[in-house]
Amino acid sequence: MSPINYCKHRMSRREMLTLSRNGFGSLALFGLLNPSVSQAATYKVAGGIGGGQIPHFPPKAKSVIFLYMDGGVSQVDSFDYKPLLEKENGKDPKFSVDATQFNSNGKLLKSYWDFKQYGDSGMWFSNLFPHIATCADDIAMINSMYSEFPEHTNANYYLHTGIGIQGRPSMGAWVTYGLGSENEQLPGYVVLNGGLTPPGGLDNFKNGFLPATYQASVLRPGDTPLANITPLEETSILQAEKLKFMNIMDQSLLNRIGDVDQIESTISNYELAFKMQSSIPELADLSGETAATQSLYGLDSEDKHCRSYGAQCLLARRLVERGVRFIELTCPNVGHDRWDQHANLKEGHEANAHAVDQPIAGLLKDLKSRGLLESTLVVFSGEFGRTPFAQKGKKPGRDHNPQAFSTWFAGAGIKGGVIYGKTDEYGYRAIENRTSIHDLHATMLHLMGIDHVKQTYRFGGRDIRLTDVHGHVVHGILDA
Amino acid sequence: MNRRGLTLIAIIGLIAYLAMGFWPDVDYGHDLPKTVDFNYHIRPILSQQCFVCHGNDPSSREADLRLDIEDGAKARLGHGGKAIVEGNINKSLLIERITSDDPKFMMPPPDSKKVMSPREIALLKKWIKQGAEWKEQWAFVTPQLPKVPLLNNNPSVSVAIDYFINDALEQKDLSIADQADRNTLIRRVSYILTGLPPTIEELDTYLNDESDSAYESMLDRYLASSGYGERWARHWMDLVRYGESMGHEGDFNISNAWEYRDYLIRAFNQDVPYDQFVLEHLAGDQITETRINPQDGYNESAIGTAYLFLGDGKHSPVNTREEESDKIDNMIEVTSKTFQALTVSCSRCHDHKFDPIPTADYYAMYGMFESTRLVPKPARMPVNRLSKADELMAVKSKIRSKVGDLLLTQLESTTQEDQRTAIQKYVAQIDKSQTIELDTSLQLLADFRAGDWEGWYTDGIAFGEHPAKGDFTIDKESKKLQELGSGFATSRHLALGVHGVLSSPNFTINKEYIAVRAAGQGGTVRIVIDNFQVIQAPLWGQLKANVDDPDWKTYILDVRLAKGRKAYLEFFSGSFERHVFDIQPDDYVDVQYAVAFSGEHDIKEKILAEQYHKEILTVEPRKAIEDWVRGESSMDQTKLVGALRQEWLPDVNTAQLSNEINQLSTLSTELYDSTHFIGMMEGEAIHSPVFNRGSFDDLSDENVPHRFLSVVSAGPDSFPQDGSGRLAWAESLVDPTNPLTSRVMVNRIWHHVFGKGIVETVDNFGLQGKMPTHPDLLNYLAITFIEEGWSIKGLIKQVLLSETFKQSSIASEENTETDPNNEMLHHYPVRRLEAEAIRDGILAAAGCLDRQMFGPSVPVHLTNFMTGRGRPRVSGPLDSYGRRSIYRSVRRNFIPPLMQTFDMPIPFSTFGKRNTTNVPAQSLALLNDPFIHEQAEYWAQNILSLESASLEERINTIYKRAFSREATQDEQRQAVQFLELQAAAHGSSLEQLKDSDLLWKDYCHSIFNLKEFIHLL
Repeated sequence: MSPINYCKHRMSRREMLTLSRNGFGSLALFGLLNPSVSQAATYKVAGGIGGGQIPHFPPKAKSVIFLYMDGGVSQVDSFDYKPLLEKENGKDPKFSVDATQFNSNGKLLKSYWDFKQYGDSGMWFSNLFPHIATCADDIAMINSMYSEFPEHTNANYYLHTGIGIQGRPSMGAWVTYGLGSENEQLPGYVVLNGGLTPPGGLDNFKNGFLPATYQASVLRPGDTPLANITPLEETSILQAEKLKFMNIMDQSLLNRIGDVDQIESTISNYELAFKMQSSIPELADLSGETAATQSLYGLDSEDKHCRSYGAQCLLARRLVERGVRFIELTCPNVGHDRWDQHANLKEGHEANAHAVDQPIAGLLKDLKSRGLLESTLVVFSGEFGRTPFAQKGKKPGRDHNPQAFSTWFAGAGIKGGVIYGKTDEYGYRAIENRTSIHDLHATMLHLMGIDHVKQTYRFGGRDIRLTDVHGHVVHGILDA
Repeated sequence: MNRRGLTLIAIIGLIAYLAMGFWPDVDYGHDLPKTVDFNYHIRPILSQQCFVCHGNDPSSREADLRLDIEDGAKARLGHGGKAIVEGNINKSLLIERITSDDPKFMMPPPDSKKVMSPREIALLKKWIKQGAEWKEQWAFVTPQLPKVPLLNNNPSVSVAIDYFINDALEQKDLSIADQADRNTLIRRVSYILTGLPPTIEELDTYLNDESDSAYESMLDRYLASSGYGERWARHWMDLVRYGESMGHEGDFNISNAWEYRDYLIRAFNQDVPYDQFVLEHLAGDQITETRINPQDGYNESAIGTAYLFLGDGKHSPVNTREEESDKIDNMIEVTSKTFQALTVSCSRCHDHKFDPIPTADYYAMYGMFESTRLVPKPARMPVNRLSKADELMAVKSKIRSKVGDLLLTQLESTTQEDQRTAIQKYVAQIDKSQTIELDTSLQLLADFRAGDWEGWYTDGIAFGEHPAKGDFTIDKESKKLQELGSGFATSRHLALGVHGVLSSPNFTINKEYIAVRAAGQGGTVRIVIDNFQVIQAPLWGQLKANVDDPDWKTYILDVRLAKGRKAYLEFFSGSFERHVFDIQPDDYVDVQYAVAFSGEHDIKEKILAEQYHKEILTVEPRKAIEDWVRGESSMDQTKLVGALRQEWLPDVNTAQLSNEINQLSTLSTELYDSTHFIGMMEGEAIHSPVFNRGSFDDLSDENVPHRFLSVVSAGPDSFPQDGSGRLAWAESLVDPTNPLTSRVMVNRIWHHVFGKGIVETVDNFGLQGKMPTHPDLLNYLAITFIEEGWSIKGLIKQVLLSETFKQSSIASEENTETDPNNEMLHHYPVRRLEAEAIRDGILAAAGCLDRQMFGPSVPVHLTNFMTGRGRPRVSGPLDSYGRRSIYRSVRRNFIPPLMQTFDMPIPFSTFGKRNTTNVPAQSLALLNDPFIHEQAEYWAQNILSLESASLEERINTIYKRAFSREATQDEQRQAVQFLELQAAAHGSSLEQLKDSDLLWKDYCHSIFNLKEFIHLL
């Protein structure tokens, strides 16, 4: 990429007026603005910034899909099978119990769901996730995750930004800060908001002290997937004429005051914005996908939440195809307050699992069949786990437990069928190969070709990194 | 290919070389400065490359070698030799190490991933050759007036500024740009001073003023306008992470945060001297020279302390100690960055790696904030109304005196026998069956029946100087005088509805519950654990009780979750509802005692037996009455007087007292004030231990005394150790020998005027910050600022009077070649306006700006994309009623997208310097946001309402509003052409649509989207 002096390549009036006036397609305005500017004004970042030469080494993953399980999936009801809980169901815990969010700790509670082993590795899955279980051999399961915070917001900020307070750059921001986007017309970091914004709000997806360029663009289902993406003019030509006029006037400003980078790049942003007006709706339009594909993702499910999450998973694949770096999916609103089942564990977890199970399995299979899984890292994680003992109540639930939870990785650079780390026999604390959020981040960055120690940004007098001063790559789940 | 392209290729090439692990063989000799300066050239290298292992922090120090201090760097090392030998590079082991390629010997070591560049090595060599002169970090040395001949002539500040700028330009063969035209200047000045574009009237006034003082008069008008305070208050709000909600899960309200915003606007408009302003922030509740609002007569100073409470916070931390340490960490970070541009918070876990800031400095500040309590206070209560309290006390004293006379007369005519009967009657009334004796199962926290505060702290006037002692009060309904009683703390010591707080010394929770015997209406009893205030379910809802019953009751606070924690009890009139404080005219709280207990206990039902004044029968009545009249009676004496009065004067509403009763009745209503803010009060001094590795549950044995930052030798000789020490800390800030305070502030002003500070890192003057581009100018301004009485307006005016400021923004090619980043200011830097200025400018152009000042914030307009917990139930209007952006609510989890898109910072820490980003979301917003379209439509209607205006006149009006100038001929032509094309696109013609707002809206909308509109030239 070579930035070219914009002023010296300004277009003639005649060129301006040859503008096609038929419709809104990106071709319509292509050539309206200086083509060299359109090169400058993209989401694509050549080379790397923020920590020398990025990638630091050849990456395995081009994109990450982060399946955020809002509220905290219960590990002992999903992937971390604990027979002892059945035996001691209803008894007082024999272990010492940490302070919890609701301080209403009851007896040990066995899982409502049966566990079975799947795949060559014999990975355990409860029957909450029958579809994902069929992908066992593509999945590396970490059963020894732990967090530092028993409250949602801190735990969410920690999971998303590597530090438990508001206002720091999100992992997606760090990744795009380092790598940019592969696509000129789409932001590098996209959040597909399926209905629920995590506690702590949109700050989970922000750029923090990094430039605003690296914040997530939040896409929502519906006619207007992105804020301000839909022109309000009645016809396309009305907006096109405005853009044309603006361009003339802006160029005359540059003529007057000379080359000013700040103004030139503002001008070029309009080119990209204009293109996004068509590229974003096109992206969000799933009607071109085959019936088989749609069905794979559960778009024909009777469960409307499954349909909506399926559409998001499909959209995630389309984003991956278009070179978007980091995609996070938030949970659908199934009416049970995310995975956060302080009460009503059975109904809540079933509704949540049913909404996401088939779409996620569909996503893994679809990526694999298209050859995309080898360059796409898929991560499934909540912000913490849940207690193996009940939270008291008529319909018991489980309270927050940062001491143990299960996270799985699949795809680029991941060794399928690996089960990594262990919790104690109740699933309460991670005890073997304990894996922190920093380790998760370090591993994720590693697979994208970024050395988490080297990627830093100077803020408030410190060179700050996503992993603070911690983090180790979890080599045990990586393909050799 | 242009210059930028070449530079880029050069950089890429360099990086490629680096990646390949070797350096090009270049002679750096010609490139090095004539004299290598320690501060400018050497310390940055040592700091960047060496300090992590050879710096200030002993915990990570290697080989017992320090390179951050001269004594260390030039000392004889354990194994012989010296790292640095003055004048001798061959003997300097440092040079040997950094030039070695033996991985076991070389420095920095390979695993540090740091690489010393050839230029850095060359600089170090040259510096050692030149004698290795060591200098203190410039920022930690009190500025000296530069020795410049010009300054002997006592020039105006603006002339001096130009001198320093020109001098630096000349040294680099640069020249100052031509002066900008008047239209550009007024727009620049207006936006910088007020954040708004000039009105057409302001523009015309200036353009028509042909006097020599036209420019200065124009400056004066803007400096005097209300918009000035609104603009500069917003700059300050970025520093103190101003927010009106707490973020996190519930995004709960920060009660009346906007009172602080209004305080700032008033303070900047009144040009409060900066030293006073600083004192008010840290100790506005303690300073003796308080500032009275000239219009409404209330005490402004205390409101400054509200800044401390504006951070984020969560509602149910499982560990309150951890939450406290995070909140105080944020206070330390914000306070040290804002006032000193130092990153003290880096010393939380270990001594600062780069700056001379030991961990003990951090924990000295920690103790200061840990000793500070945050309480509701009246915000805008006129001081002269407070003087009514004295009048009221005088009336009460008079009543006591008259009642005393009556009692004394009666005493004369009563036999001792009868007196004794009266007293015994009273004693007999006390029902002992319902009392319970204090024993080891109870921990007494306070028993106000003893008649004094027992070391408790009061804030505000409500609780007076001691618990109630048989005073009288007016019953609101009957307007009759009645006895208030005695032997309890009461917030109606003066009257109902009076602001005030009574809070206990710190104690450790070692029981399960706390029982508080209280009565009242709209009163609050609560316990503050580890300074945690966001009291509510699920975990901490039991820490407070609303007292809403005039009869005595025992309120039980459940502190089982807080065992072992530090706590204090707090009583106040008024209450918090969803974290918003409210006080009504009849609110009060009375408290007799508070005890802690465990498990089931009779104290829930029974009353604690009085531990005192059992000697009532032995009290001498005459003296008791006399002492009581003087307000000096002991509790036994008070009780005795009460008993006699009950017997002899059951109704005090006698004709003799009717005057006083009327006076009291009137005065009682004058002390109520509905306004409030959350500000600081003093509590018990806490000297914090150092937290080992920053961990709140791993404490060192020794406690750190309160003190100022050790690198700065300013402030009082002996730092007070009682209380929080905030006042002394603040005095150390504004001590003229403090090397940072003045420099930091003048640099912030410079930053806002030129878009870049003399020190670019405005929030970091430490070793990792940038060096000043014009050190002499910075020192000169810092000294002048203090000499001129710390006047912010005064300094801004001088800067704006300078030729430096008045330069055009057009750079000459020669200058740009030499100084592409305009470090030396050879032209005025073009920059994008801030988010608020863009929005306010749009409203102003459209004629929709409502200049109403102050008051509660306008609720944020919610879009479908603004989701999440704590989402306000009601969305504000799209245009926020046309109010300036500063009056819009700053809810942490719901910051208006337009503001965030244009880089308004998320308020989590100090942001002295905003980012300026370019993202398509900005273009999309200006193109497609309904607010922008709506304003374009209003503007069009506004333009069409101008009577009999020609096309040309309309276009000129639009240009004047948007760009403070008339359209050029070409612009006129382009405008008409656009209108024609657009009319055609509407399927019509310009002739047909020339008075249609449909068409003009399109034009106005395009104007909003022109780059000239959102940039300052």
